[in-house]
Formats: sequence, C-alpha cells, structure tokens
Amino acid sequence: MIRALAAAFVALLVLGGGSAWAGHRLNNEVLIGGAISMTGQYAEPAGRQVNSIKLWVDEVNARGGLLGHKISLRLLDDKSDIQTAIKLYEKLITEDKVDLVLCPYSSGITEAVANVTERYKMPFVAYGAASSPIWEKGRRYIFNIVAIAEDYQKGAVHLAKQIGVTKIAIIGQDSLFPRQAGKGAKDWAKKLGIDVVLEENYPTKQTDFTALLQKIKAAGAEAVISNSYFADSAAQLRQMRELNVNFKLFSSTVGPGLPNFPEQLGATAEYVLGFSQWEPLPHILKHTGMKEYIDAYEKRFNEKPNYHAGGAWGALQVTEAAVKKAGGFDSEKLREAMATIEVNSAFGRYKVDAKGMNSHEGITFQILRGQRRVVWPEKWAETKAELPMPEWGKR
Amino acid sequence: MERSDVRSFYILAAFLVCAYALPFVIGVQSGTVHATERWFAYLTTVVLSGVLQGGVYAMFAVGLTLIFGVMRIINAAHGEMVMMGAYLTWVCFFYLGLNPLLSMVLTLPIAFLFGMALQKLLLHAVVGQPELTALLVTFGFGLVMIYVAELIFTTDFRTIPFAPATIQISRRIAISQNKLISFVMAVAISAGVYLFLKLSRLGKAIRATALNAEVAMVCGIDVRRIYLITTGLGVALAVAGGALVSIQFGFNPETGIVYTLQAFAIIILGGRGHYVGALIGGLMLAVLESLVSLMIPNGTAMVELAAYALMISVLLIRPGGLMGVKES
Repeated sequence: MIRALAAAFVALLVLGGGSAWAGHRLNNEVLIGGAISMTGQYAEPAGRQVNSIKLWVDEVNARGGLLGHKISLRLLDDKSDIQTAIKLYEKLITEDKVDLVLCPYSSGITEAVANVTERYKMPFVAYGAASSPIWEKGRRYIFNIVAIAEDYQKGAVHLAKQIGVTKIAIIGQDSLFPRQAGKGAKDWAKKLGIDVVLEENYPTKQTDFTALLQKIKAAGAEAVISNSYFADSAAQLRQMRELNVNFKLFSSTVGPGLPNFPEQLGATAEYVLGFSQWEPLPHILKHTGMKEYIDAYEKRFNEKPNYHAGGAWGALQVTEAAVKKAGGFDSEKLREAMATIEVNSAFGRYKVDAKGMNSHEGITFQILRGQRRVVWPEKWAETKAELPMPEWGKR
Repeated sequence: MERSDVRSFYILAAFLVCAYALPFVIGVQSGTVHATERWFAYLTTVVLSGVLQGGVYAMFAVGLTLIFGVMRIINAAHGEMVMMGAYLTWVCFFYLGLNPLLSMVLTLPIAFLFGMALQKLLLHAVVGQPELTALLVTFGFGLVMIYVAELIFTTDFRTIPFAPATIQISRRIAISQNKLISFVMAVAISAGVYLFLKLSRLGKAIRATALNAEVAMVCGIDVRRIYLITTGLGVALAVAGGALVSIQFGFNPETGIVYTLQAFAIIILGGRGHYVGALIGGLMLAVLESLVSLMIPNGTAMVELAAYALMISVLLIRPGGLMGVKES
C-alpha cells in the first residue's frame, strides 16, 4: 500500500515537474514567470523590458487571455547577478511550476540560465542576449530574436568603406560580448577589403586610453571600431578630443544608444556612430503593429520604447503565436512551434534556422545635433551619414 | 644601509631597467616601434601623460602609506574614499555650481572629519591588532561605502566636464588640460603634506609615532590624537585624489577598487610607509602601464598583468620596496 502510494506520489511529481499544464491552476490561470534584473548594473535596459512584459500581459488579459487562460505574472529580481538568476529559475520551474518562462537580461546571465531551462525543457525566445556562442552548444529550447553581436559593427564598417577608409583599428573591452562584436567587425572588414591594422582589447575597468589612442594613430588607422559600453566609449571620445586625436569615423556598440550619452558628452558625442536593434520609427521600419505598440507604450510609460523594450515585445508576440500554434503549454509542442513558426512582429520578422537563430537586421545611427539619426542600411536611412567626422579644431 | 640591503637595491634597479626595456624590445620585434619623428612624438605624448597620471596616483597612495606607516593598518577602503571624493566633487559641481578645484576647500575638511570619525568609531578598535583584522574591517567598510553610494547615486557612470581643452606642446605632442591641472594640484598637495610632516611639530609627532608608538607616548605625544589626525589626513588625500580623477575619468560606485589596487601596487613598489617612495612608485607604475599599452601587441589588455607582475617581482627581490628599509 505504502509502496503504491509512494509510486503514485513519484508519478505525480514527475508529471507535475515534467510537463507543466495550465489546467492545474486555480481560476484556470496560466502562470508565466521569469527573473530579470530590476536592480544592479542591468537595471536600466532590463527595466524597459519589464515595461513591455507588463504591457503585453495586460493586453492579452484584456483580450481574454492566452488560449482562454488569464495570465498570472511572476517576475523576480536577479540583481544583475548570474548565481541569483540560476537559483531563481530553478525555483520558478520546480517550485512555482510556471507554464512559460520569460528570459533574463544580458548574454552572460542568459548563457547561465539556458543550462537550467534546457535541463527542464522549458523553451523561450531570448530577447536579452545577442552573443551567438549561446546557440553554438546544441541547445534546443532557446531561440534568438535580436541581431547578434557579430553584426553590431556591420553598418559602421560599410560606412567606412563608402567614405574610402582603407585602414581601421578594432578595439574593445575584454569580455564576451565586445569580443564577439570585434570578431564580426573583422570579418566584415575582410569581406569589404579593409585592412585591420590594429586589434586590441582593454581590461573592463580601463579609464585611461591615452596610450591606446596613440597606438591606433601610430598604426595608421583612419577609423576606430570600438566595441564598448558607456563608460569606456565616453572616456575614449573625451580623451580623443583632449589630445586632439582625429579619426574619419568612430563607432561604438552600446554607449551611443543610451539616452544619457549625448546628454553627458554634449558636443563631444557628435558624429559618433552607434548601433540599435530597433528604433520607434514606424514610418521607416514599417513592421506590422509597430505604431499601435509604440502608442500604447508611450501612453502608459510616458516615453517611447527603446530597442530593449521593442525586442521584448516582439519576442512576446512570437511566444503568443507559438502557444496558439501548439494549442497548449506542452513544452515539446511549444518548442516545435517556436522552431518552425514565422511571425511578423512589431520588432521585425522572426524565423529561426536549425540552430535556433533568427536573422534580425539592426540599424546604424549617427548622433547629429544631439539626436540619433538612422544612417544605415540605406533602405531605412533617415539622412545621409555626415562623414568623415570633422576635426576637433574645426567644429 | 646594510650590505645585503644595498645589494637588493642594485638587483631591483637592474630588474627595473630590464622591465622598462622589455616593451621596447617586444615593440621592435613586432614592428610597433618605428624610428620616425612621428613615432617619437607618440611616445613622448604617452610618457608625458603617464607622468601626469602618476603624480595623481602617488598622491592618494601617500594617504594609504601614511595610515599604514603610523598605525600598521592596511586601509582596503582607500579606493572607495577616492570614489567618495569623486562623488563629493560631482555634487559640488552639479548642485552648488562649484569649480572642482575650489570645491576641495569644502570637501577636504569634510573628508578630514569623516576620517577622524572613522578612526574614533572603527579603527581605534583594530590598532595594534594583527594586520589582517584591520584589513578585514576596512574591506567591509569599503563594501558598505559602495552600497551606500549605489543607493544614493545608482550605478550610472558620471563624468564632470571640466577643463576639456587641449594643450598643444608641439605640432604632434599634446596633453590634456585637465591632466596637467590634476598633476600640478597633486604635486602641490603632496609637497604640502611632505613639508608638513618634515617641518611642523605635529608632523614630527606623526613621524615619531610611526617610528615607535610606545616611545612616542613616553615622550609625551598623545598617540590617540595622532591617530585621529593621521586617518583624517589619509582620507583627505584620498578625497583630493578623487576630485582630481573625477575631472579626467568617468566613475561609478564600483570604480574604487581600481584605485585601491593601484595604491597598493604603488606603495609596495615605493616602500611601505615611505612618502618619497610613493611618489616615485606612482610615476613608475603609470609610465610602465603606458609603455606596455603603447608598444606590446594587445598590450592594453596586459596593463594590469604588467603592473602586478612588477609588484610581485619587487616583493620577491626587495620586500621593503624601492625606498623601504628592511623590516625587522
């Protein structure tokens, strides 16, 4: 008798843990959960993604829910910390038994969390990670939606080619994402016949770039491809101006995309190229449902969504479509749907290859008179890039 | 000096000559060194900038060495105090509209009082305890400072746009205005502290306490008061350093650790508890970092490696540092 009860108990545990199903919850709800950085270094971009998540949940519930189930949302704070994120995903999947997982922010945390979700076979669309090595380990339950790190400098290298630059320097912070972006930039340069005369990484906390800037000059580079975040790209630009070091083009991966970049740097930020996954420009990008999303977001949060918010929204639209196609929350069916579905979201087209990677196309912008203006690819360009950058003495 | 002491000094000097020649040798081999006028202009810019930087590093390292020399306390929160200086300057600049150099008139007394309070409430308890105790206490205090700063200022990077102009020395050689200003200020402050320690009665009492606290006490020096003043002065030097780095570089609550490590490397190089040694150590470290970055392929990634390799080598060859005397 006891043995039979134990067997039944184990069977229940296995069923409960293995294939979560929405019907087991009170009020016929479906539980969606995730850990995302609400505090710590990633709080700003991740916070914008949380905005989109809340907007989506309310909108779906107003439409009658997901396959008729009202969504109950459980968001936890991973404090921008990998170990915390791993623990929270374990908890969400095994204790809370969520029906669907949302993804964390940043490549580093996603890479770690993917090991947990993979073990429990919980599929998701990763809107917070852009480093392709995540998809090179044979994982089956994680899907990419945003443009990968290797393509962040694609536009800048093309623009360098257009203005006749023949020698470039590729520099970057010594960590996963910038190194991948540097690798991509180098490949694009090779394809376009541009000579990479210097490749250099610097420690994450480097503040003084005097020697590096002189080294770039000494190597004869005409343009600088900088795979940098906020602090380092800002320091590089300030020191370029202070030392009167001039280049025809300067492009940074992350820094210029943040709203406070032109604010803090003022005129020093002018003519700098930056990368964006998406911009709230429906008349230019013309993605389906883009305007409605931007309006709803702006109405609720009093600002236009940036690309972090847009990516999260697109991924949630894909998730919704996949749930509908799978006809439920069975993780295998959902995985199958995410792997095969084609969706035209407000973020752009989603259709993944065998590795689970989408081929999202990003945008290169230039800071002109304090505004980010799209300059590449040509089909989306708002204005022509103003290159080469004028010398510091002539501004 | 004893014979073995003299010998270790010469070995260290020989080692340093090799260490500074190494970037050139590697540079020549890998083709990053060119015998052109243009390249020498780049080299001069980099070395000049290293010297300017070194002066500022040295100043806050003097603060660290002072506290260590007098109380045998290794202040692991020194970099966080540099960070505090940067934020105090930032607040003065953006909220009170004060020039970062002028704001020191306000921030240095605050820092001095902060240091005295710290001494009274926390460090008095660990003076005379094993050095590890003080290290742990100050390390913990540094973490508290980081989290408090994150609470107040968030983790966003801040910069202070002050003196961003270029000083063109020749057609190809330029230095930045804020670096030069920082250097001049740092040298002035360090020289002031040095003269104070050498010449004034109080300064002599501080040095006497550093040499031997018990004998100083017997001679009628109020050692506890000396400790208060020393920590106040040490923290003020760190905060002054913070003001000077804040006009050059961006900072956030977590940048302090970089400066703690730099100050450690400098006083190990120069000699613990030795003020002139800290100045020399500061210049040497900054110049080596610049040379490695300029000439070795992917050298910027190796700057920290070079700095700590230098530190470890000094510890192995001459544990007391360049100017230090052998510890008994």
